[in-house]
Amino acid sequence: MAQPLVKKDDDRDDEAEYSPFLGIEKGAVLQEARVFNDPQLDPRRCSQVITKLLYLLNQGESFTKVEATEVFFAVTKLFQSRDIGLRRMVYLMIKELSPSADEVIIVTSSLMKDMNSKTDMYRANAIRVLCRITDGTLLTQIERYLKQAIVDKNPVVASAALVSGIHLLQTNPEIVKRWSNEVQEAVQSRAALVQFHALALLHQIRQNDRLAVSKLVTSLTRGTVRSPLAQCLLIRYTSQVIRESGSTQTGDRPFYDFLEGCLRHKAEMVIFEAARAITELNGVTSRELTPAITVLQLFLSSSKPVLRFAAVRTLNKVAMTHPMAVTNCNIDMESLISDQNRSIATLAITTLLKTGNESSVDRLMKQITNFMSDIADEFKIVVVEAIRSLCLKFPLKYRSLMNFLSNILREEGGFEYKKAIVDSIVILIRDIPDAKESGLLHLCEFIEDCEFTYLSTQILHFLGIEGPKTSDPSKYIRYIYNRVHLENATVRASAVSTLAKFGALVDSLKPRIFVLLRRCLFDSDDEVRDRATLYINTLGGDGSVVETDKDVKDFLFGSLDLPLANLETSLKTYEPSEEPFDINSVPKEIKSQPLAEKKAPGKKPTGLGAPPAAPVSTVDAYEKLLSSIPEFANFGKLFKSSAPVELTEAETEYSVNAVKHIFDSNVVFQYNCTNTIPDQLLENVTVIVDSSEAEEFAEVLSKPIRSLPYDTPGQTFVAFEKPEGVPAVGKFSNMLKFIVKEVDPTTGETEDDGVEDEYQLEDLEVVAADYMLKVGVSNFRNAWESMGDDFERVDEYGLGPRESLAEAVSAVINLLGMQPCEGTEAVPNNSRSHSCLLSGVYIGNVKVLARISFGVDGPKDVAMKLAVRSEDEGVSDAIHEIVASG
Amino acid sequence: MILAVVFANSVGNILVERFNGVPAEERLHWRSFLVKLGADNLKGVKNEELLVACHKSVYIVYTILGDVSIYVVGKDEYDELALSEVIFVITSAVKDVCGKPPTERLFLDKYGRICLCLDEIVWKGYLENTEKDRIRRLIRLKPPVEF
Repeated sequence: MAQPLVKKDDDRDDEAEYSPFLGIEKGAVLQEARVFNDPQLDPRRCSQVITKLLYLLNQGESFTKVEATEVFFAVTKLFQSRDIGLRRMVYLMIKELSPSADEVIIVTSSLMKDMNSKTDMYRANAIRVLCRITDGTLLTQIERYLKQAIVDKNPVVASAALVSGIHLLQTNPEIVKRWSNEVQEAVQSRAALVQFHALALLHQIRQNDRLAVSKLVTSLTRGTVRSPLAQCLLIRYTSQVIRESGSTQTGDRPFYDFLEGCLRHKAEMVIFEAARAITELNGVTSRELTPAITVLQLFLSSSKPVLRFAAVRTLNKVAMTHPMAVTNCNIDMESLISDQNRSIATLAITTLLKTGNESSVDRLMKQITNFMSDIADEFKIVVVEAIRSLCLKFPLKYRSLMNFLSNILREEGGFEYKKAIVDSIVILIRDIPDAKESGLLHLCEFIEDCEFTYLSTQILHFLGIEGPKTSDPSKYIRYIYNRVHLENATVRASAVSTLAKFGALVDSLKPRIFVLLRRCLFDSDDEVRDRATLYINTLGGDGSVVETDKDVKDFLFGSLDLPLANLETSLKTYEPSEEPFDINSVPKEIKSQPLAEKKAPGKKPTGLGAPPAAPVSTVDAYEKLLSSIPEFANFGKLFKSSAPVELTEAETEYSVNAVKHIFDSNVVFQYNCTNTIPDQLLENVTVIVDSSEAEEFAEVLSKPIRSLPYDTPGQTFVAFEKPEGVPAVGKFSNMLKFIVKEVDPTTGETEDDGVEDEYQLEDLEVVAADYMLKVGVSNFRNAWESMGDDFERVDEYGLGPRESLAEAVSAVINLLGMQPCEGTEAVPNNSRSHSCLLSGVYIGNVKVLARISFGVDGPKDVAMKLAVRSEDEGVSDAIHEIVASG
Repeated sequence: MILAVVFANSVGNILVERFNGVPAEERLHWRSFLVKLGADNLKGVKNEELLVACHKSVYIVYTILGDVSIYVVGKDEYDELALSEVIFVITSAVKDVCGKPPTERLFLDKYGRICLCLDEIVWKGYLENTEKDRIRRLIRLKPPVEF
């Protein structure tokens, strides 16, 4: 930007020497303010004093009630002056002082006079000040003038009244709503700003009336809107109307042409607004997206950073839902990685990480490495998260991505950043088995020089669980034992626990672990010594190579066996007394379990934070729960537990969902019931299951809930027998049966007599997918090759007309219940064919892999070729049968 | 809503701050956040070159003009584009009042005028006037020449 030519002025030299407000002091300024009361007003001096007052207020100085009142009264005197500059200052000062209701009365008459003045500017300013300080009663008095002002021929006055209207709508909506006609007239104004303000006010007045908004949009999109700002508003209101008009997907979308036309507007802000509105349309198609993406791509190379930022931010959002649509912009975005503005660069990188394909990963990583050194932590975290999801998408690339993560882990960084990296490594270790050993070593190296106690303890905990299962557990011991020497007490204590876990799981290491644990007995910290003593005693064997008892392993590795929330509540209500806290008194019911589980699929486990939250441990929790019921003890090992299926509508009297537990020759339905009526107690709650549509199932037992008080979830079980190893399917109808007893809500007493009652639930189905465990493989090709084609079965199927290819792919995946590998569940928009790789474990612990090629035939007909490989011929056939009968 | 307009000098002292709809207890946080943002990023930036950041759902556009750094914070309809419009108006008005990109001294000399300009530009969190000539007339209580 060229600097304006300035004369070399004299005051430049002493400019830096002192501030005009140097040593300014509130008391002195308040004294000075007495000049306002002079009979002969000096406008210049008064303006200077007001400036000083403004400076004080802007510096965060506050006036006491008395001071403010005094200044306010003094300022009102200045209305006597005819000096225009001073008058403007007075208006500002009154607004800044925001006088209380009882003081306002002093100025209202002066302001009312100005409001009807011949000078337009007095009118406009008086309106603004009055609206700022007025309350409802005064407003009714001046309403007439305001309505006139809205249609005033002077745009400054009209705008002042309109903007005042926007603010007053918050406090006095019923009054402002009466101005509708005048505002409507102002929308047609020739002055751009008046139109903008009028449109905003009109929309706010009508915002709760959908039809009116729709009419407003319809009429304005046909006419001409002068101001670009008003045009932007109109685009926003239009997309609101489109959103609310629902999905009438017949023919073209209403108003799309208008939005598309705005892409050719001469103002950049309008173009951008329209492009963004298009990208945010519900279920936007590629055809609709294309013109918007094109203008955004142009903005990417704009010289204005704000436009670049806006464009890349919008594209980043589009990349989440339509990655393929954004790939055209990749080259432009790659050049933005070196953008001076780091926000733009970060957004460009994360977008590229979303849209990139497997082959571009390495190149991209190289560019990011250079970039990481000069951005702030908050941006780095965003990048780390993007890399994590990239790695999960392309597991084959784990090596370079894991290396990248370990490199940045070694560099400087704050806690949040380091935590994000560690979380990512942990998730990769969990999801990509091949990455485990290298990942654990990276974590070990990190704790050698980690300044964050929280991260160290979390990593040690994780090491204790994963380390002993690796091929050479002994190599981790050194890193762990170093902690006992070098760290603070918290880390030392968790290192001791980790050592004990290695000792418990790896018998050959046990003697050496004992030596190390004994050394910890002399630690300076109680907790460390206590833990060491505890573990030495529980591990047993006195340091010789013996197998650890199952109980000890359960103690070390088992979860608490209690929902932590329940434990927390019980501990909070426990009052210290002679009687010790009894852990058995904590209820074991998993409260609001369905909610927690519903969230699980959407949100990946957040790394180390809480290992029990991982999906695996829900199964663990179920396993524990079932094995605690003696009747189910002889069912053998639990193969799979389904996600909860809701059997009641939301917010009904009784809320019930069911989990299907699959065993080799049994199926158990677990009904989670919640009683949502405060004045009822349910007793002897069972579910009567009619299995007439499930021939291969025979009910063997039903376990009722003895008592189900208000808002305390309980579980009832019904178990069935089925032919061993056979994936029997069927439909079950359910009826909740119970005895209702009234509860007095005030005393909490329950009546003795109850009434039997029933409550119809939705049907529950056991389907083929229930016999399939979702187990991914990191390298599908290798797994496929090594499985061999001995039991390969290939066949072709026509799926008939489908809504889209993506819909067909997800239907098949759901039908089979298998884990999609290598991100093949995502179908690019508009593609006519797609390959999907699936993997899973079928009942009987048989590994299954499937390769499915989909193709669109004719307008909507989808056909697919399914190739299945497994370790068992029968299973390969069974998968085909599932597809054939589904 | 334009949540804040803040002016600071080169060492991070606040010269003017106007908050709209920001609770008093959060202002301190914003003040220090903005000053730190400027200290981290504004070194070597040319006059009026815009920088942009977003924090949760709030956008920040900021720049430097002479010795003074200017921050504008907005949310909802005041996204980075709208804010760049706001900051453009502010910088051009300040240059207009000061006659050049101001030193801190010059800025303080024209303090009253600048406050009046801000009053014309942002009104309780909404952008009002966008043209410097118009603003120049308005702060002298003269009607704008053209509408």
